[in-house]
Amino acid sequence: MVRSRAERLADLAVYAAMLLLAAAFLLPVLWLASLAVRTQAEVFLGAARFIPEAPTLDNFARVLRDGGFQTYIWNTIKLSSLGAAGAVALAAPAAYALSRMRFRGKGAVMLGILSVQMVSGLVVLIPLYRFMDRLGLLESHFGTTLLYIAAGIPVTVWLLKIAFDTVPQTLDDAAAIDGLSRFETFAMITLPLALPGLVSAFILNLILNWSQFLIPFIMLTADETWPISVAIFRFAGSTSAATTQLLAAACLLAILPALAIFIVLQRWILAALMAGAVKQ
Amino acid sequence: MAKLDLSAITKSFGATRVLDQVSLSVPDREFVVVVGPSGCGKSTLLRIVAGLEAASAGEVLLDDRPVSQLSPGQRNVAMVFQNYALYPHLTVAANIGFGLRRARMRRAEKREAVARVARLLEIEPLLNRRPGALSGGQRQRVAMGRAIIRNPAVFLFDEPLSNLDARLRMQMRSEIRALHRAVPTTTLYVTHDQIEAMTMADRVVVMNGGRIEQIGTPTEVYSAPRTTFVAGFIGMPSINMIPARYRGDALELPSTTLPVPAAVKPRLAGHAGRDLLVGLRPEHLDIRPGGDGLVAEVDQIEPTGSETLVYLDHPAMRLSARTAPDTALSPGMQVGLRLLLERASFFDAETGLNLVPPPSNLTGELTA
Repeated sequence: MVRSRAERLADLAVYAAMLLLAAAFLLPVLWLASLAVRTQAEVFLGAARFIPEAPTLDNFARVLRDGGFQTYIWNTIKLSSLGAAGAVALAAPAAYALSRMRFRGKGAVMLGILSVQMVSGLVVLIPLYRFMDRLGLLESHFGTTLLYIAAGIPVTVWLLKIAFDTVPQTLDDAAAIDGLSRFETFAMITLPLALPGLVSAFILNLILNWSQFLIPFIMLTADETWPISVAIFRFAGSTSAATTQLLAAACLLAILPALAIFIVLQRWILAALMAGAVKQ
Repeated sequence: MAKLDLSAITKSFGATRVLDQVSLSVPDREFVVVVGPSGCGKSTLLRIVAGLEAASAGEVLLDDRPVSQLSPGQRNVAMVFQNYALYPHLTVAANIGFGLRRARMRRAEKREAVARVARLLEIEPLLNRRPGALSGGQRQRVAMGRAIIRNPAVFLFDEPLSNLDARLRMQMRSEIRALHRAVPTTTLYVTHDQIEAMTMADRVVVMNGGRIEQIGTPTEVYSAPRTTFVAGFIGMPSINMIPARYRGDALELPSTTLPVPAAVKPRLAGHAGRDLLVGLRPEHLDIRPGGDGLVAEVDQIEPTGSETLVYLDHPAMRLSARTAPDTALSPGMQVGLRLLLERASFFDAETGLNLVPPPSNLTGELTA
């Protein structure tokens, strides 16, 4: 295809803008990487020397060997995956109803669910804390997981509704004639056929939960129950510059799993986000 | 095996009435084809029989037992869908055997039943494949296999052939008929294709605007249509409708007056002076020099090989005629036409009803 000069200039402008955006997100990470491979002495040089003279992987080794770090990572895995699984499991029936049943006020329900997503966690922080306190669920992974699930449900309902919408309605009809109940149809026909959508919704929740900070921060005060996000924040607030390089290494290591999941599975995630965008 | 009765089925979606007092009686083992233009309510009717849709009023009876309160699964009906509706995540064998899940059979028995059906439909080599790996015709066969394995009381077909190409459609038509001979089961078959209706049905139900226009054998609906709608809908090319007025012994047609043959007179008795429509099939319009004084201009000639269709323009109407393949006509020629009035149907121009009601009645009992 022959492209005009104007089109090429426009492309160039788009790439320049994207580069700028990428830089805004990447620079802090690069700075983190720079700190993470320094020796303690070089940390004090600050921004004066971006690439250290004597880079070292020692910081990573020390963090990885640290029992506390391992506990935090394990807590993160546990909370994120249980939260993601719970959100998908609870959102699926709701999404099925929204996809398959005709009832009054369906549009309002869909918008209502979405509007929950628009409320910042900070707004409900204090009532949420008191609520969980009354229920006696503070300081427990169980209570924390429940909140992860609650936080994930709205967007998951939408994603799964779109996934279920792509499973043809006539299959429900065929299943009804084959004698399946609504629930059996859901479990034996719709769910297996929407598996790619379920998996991407799970992964998306997993990634969102991995970086979840607010909920575990208010719910958990005992050191050994923290996920990595809270742990890093607490250490950053309490330690001197003498351990900055270790903190940087821990931060990078904490990002890695979510990043890896995203890179490996981005096609699925994109497919889930784009499904239903255009009529097939 | 069952007899199916529909009694005054009415269905409204909001203010729109899609079915209006539809009654139909299908005796055991009969193959009934419901045909009509899209939007006439035929698919909704089928879905109501299946239980996928609830009627607003009226009752569906299977062997004289009302089934409206039963779920589709409890009605013991099987349905073949237009888009096949096979379960894509299951193998062909699992798709066919799916309806047997509830049946109290041993696993080996079920496998034997699936094999038997697969043999009948000649799809044995496909049993381990998934629907995605099958052609349209193969999928259609699997869909039929899923329907017959349960030995249902009633077979329901919802435009099953409309996704197939012309050759395959013709082949599947005769295969479905052969299947019905092999496994004689009460069948309700919905289509918009009048050729399917004519070639497959024991009886045809012609629907229009949510009502039944006529119930009859293919020959009846073709040669004795009850209404102008049925006359126009059944038959390709469409029937010729010639406006006329009956006066004494003669029919006044546009630009000519014809004597009425003695055999036709009783059918017109009592309609003198009324505006009529003479329905004449293309094969009952003879192109011949002189003709009956009706002259038209040849507009288009369509040779099909076995016969040639001639479309004609007359100042008052457009006509079509079926002629021998070796016609010497060419567009622009003026030709004379002879009308075989003995074979015509006469309709009241106002009501659109045939002056002589066809033998079959609307409640749909078989005529001896």
